[in-house]
Amino acid sequence: MKVLWLQKLTCCGNTHSLLNYETPSALFEELSFIYHPSLSLDSQEEVVRELIEKGKDIDLLVIEGAVECGDKELIELCKRSVFVVAVGNCAVYGNIPALSDERICGLSYRFKEKGGLLGDNFLSKGGLPVINLSGCPAHPEWIVTTLLMLAGGIKLELDQWNRPMLFYSSLTHWGCTKNEYFEWKVETEELGSKKGCLFYHFGCRGPLSYSSCNQTLWNGVSSKTRAGTPCFGCTEYDFPRIGMWETKHYAGIPTELPIGVSKRGYIMLSGVAKVFAPERLKDEN
Amino acid sequence: MKIENINLARFEGEVKLELVWKESMIIDARISISSTRNIERVLLGRPYMDALVITPRVCGICGHAHLIASAKAIEDLMQLEPTQKAKLVRRITQSLELLQNHIKWFYLFLMPDFVFVKDELRGLYAPFLGERWKKAIEVSSSITKAIALFSGQWPHSSYAIPGGITSQPSYREIAFLRHILLGVKNFFLKFLVDMEEDEFCRWLRRGSWKGAKGDIALLLELSEKEGLIDIGRSYDRFISFGNSYTSSGYYIKKAVHGKMKLTQLEELEAPNYTRAKPVRYKRLPFEAGPLSRQLLAGTFLIKEAHRELADAFVVRVLARVLEIWYVIKAIEKWSEELKGLLHEPSTNLKKPPLKISGTGYGIVEAARGSLIHKIKVKNGLIEGYSIITPSQWNLGPRCEKFYGVAEKALLGLKKELHAQIILRSFDLCSVCTTH
Repeated sequence: MKVLWLQKLTCCGNTHSLLNYETPSALFEELSFIYHPSLSLDSQEEVVRELIEKGKDIDLLVIEGAVECGDKELIELCKRSVFVVAVGNCAVYGNIPALSDERICGLSYRFKEKGGLLGDNFLSKGGLPVINLSGCPAHPEWIVTTLLMLAGGIKLELDQWNRPMLFYSSLTHWGCTKNEYFEWKVETEELGSKKGCLFYHFGCRGPLSYSSCNQTLWNGVSSKTRAGTPCFGCTEYDFPRIGMWETKHYAGIPTELPIGVSKRGYIMLSGVAKVFAPERLKDEN
Repeated sequence: MKIENINLARFEGEVKLELVWKESMIIDARISISSTRNIERVLLGRPYMDALVITPRVCGICGHAHLIASAKAIEDLMQLEPTQKAKLVRRITQSLELLQNHIKWFYLFLMPDFVFVKDELRGLYAPFLGERWKKAIEVSSSITKAIALFSGQWPHSSYAIPGGITSQPSYREIAFLRHILLGVKNFFLKFLVDMEEDEFCRWLRRGSWKGAKGDIALLLELSEKEGLIDIGRSYDRFISFGNSYTSSGYYIKKAVHGKMKLTQLEELEAPNYTRAKPVRYKRLPFEAGPLSRQLLAGTFLIKEAHRELADAFVVRVLARVLEIWYVIKAIEKWSEELKGLLHEPSTNLKKPPLKISGTGYGIVEAARGSLIHKIKVKNGLIEGYSIITPSQWNLGPRCEKFYGVAEKALLGLKKELHAQIILRSFDLCSVCTTH
């Protein structure tokens, strides 16, 4: 299967993320790129013109970056593709470029609204909707594995945003090294401290976002929360939210609780956890 | 007269080049970028800390420099110094970003053009297939791993905060970093210059770019064959706002002037053919980037090459390649210093204050040159944010009086391929230029 990668309104961050894949040589042997704007020698115009004029199908079309709603050439290319993959939050939801311009959207969404460039009912020639790999950027393993699964005819289970369940079915919180603090409600009081969980004061979206960032580590070695930085929920439609370093509270309780946790449950459990939290967690720094 | 429009391949983002030919010579060149993501506008009205998450998204290849510039701008506004440890760690990660950039620039962006000059080179330098091309990706990806050790991830970390950093590195990260750096150094010595360290240092001290070996020598040889050695000159005026290994200043007519004044800095309105805004210092265009830094730092070989060829293609390229070496050496030194500072706190500011007001500048020497962020905050919210990127200096358009720096470098050229290769010597990035 051959990959055609195109960039629209983008910082090219997903391309550089892709290049961080642990075994790039194997990647480029296994997946052949007919064109990638940051890498190929050919001219994009010629490659695209030839595809359109000759009426050829595209095996795997990968779009990086937000798009102009109504981009006719791109709609045409998507229709000719066996599979269409939106890589990164801009291509999925419109993200930063869409914040200041209402003519900008993602391939099948504009933030949380369904539709985007291709409309709600779009199916590529392979019978699938646009496969969304959200994240700012998307992790190289999410990109490569998804492309290989599509190429190899392996069934992809998708979530409600058409993201592969393999990477987006668990919370970013899973595998976070600060989980024990979260469990016992030992909160980070100060940035730059090893101690505590960033959820209560510093806006961490780990328990509110779906991604495998703490299971499949970034650059093979770390993640935001492991480096003491809150998760900003960059795999979700509302990234970048306003006030990303703060947790909003109402009556001493975060206004948004971890997904699936009731207010009553949170109050009861956190009260108990705080009382019985082991001293070693409180003393540490 | 003939006008030719070219969509450039292998740039960071989309760039269009319009060349005006007369009697087979380029008599005018316009570099145009039509898209922008309005990042400065997206920042308005948000809490100032949001800048640390949003500005890195200006650029996928130099976003870390934007992060550091944002952190510095907020520190400037707060009159706050980061801890010594945090300063060193930030220097290290930011310089690592520069390293991966320069290696990608050489092998992914510059060298592939030369397969058009010599077809036999495909096996080594062609995209996806070339042995050296693949190796360069492995090496640059090992460098981003080293950044992530400290910053959590690359691209798009937000680990630098006003007063310091969020992470707490230990000796483990330093050891890992040193090993990765050794790999980069070996790659540089073996492939880029093909010399042992001693021999390479002697070559640097001799001060003549002739006698180079390795991939640099190949590049010089091909440049000579293609007649690129002494073309691609621009204004021969350079600017750098200085960093941890070069001083700040500007360079006109072979004289260095120190003391940069931000009041002399101007961002003008974009002309009608591009969304990019020209930047001027003392109302003049300047070239930013490695060549500016090396001239201001007084690197002997670069000074000599510049004396011979001024700001020609080859001098610009050599400055970029040699900067890899100087940056490796600097990171080696800083990682040594960091060992003694690990016990220090990661930040001087534990909790960002909510209701602050004021204005601050954050200036960073990024891979492509001087990056300047200016933030204006009122009661904790961003009231104004302006970003001047390195590529605006180099790739930026003309003003009423002067061509843009890269535009000027194309005048008088006789081949389209030359125009493309000369542009690459500036390591252009359109996503930064219009942000």
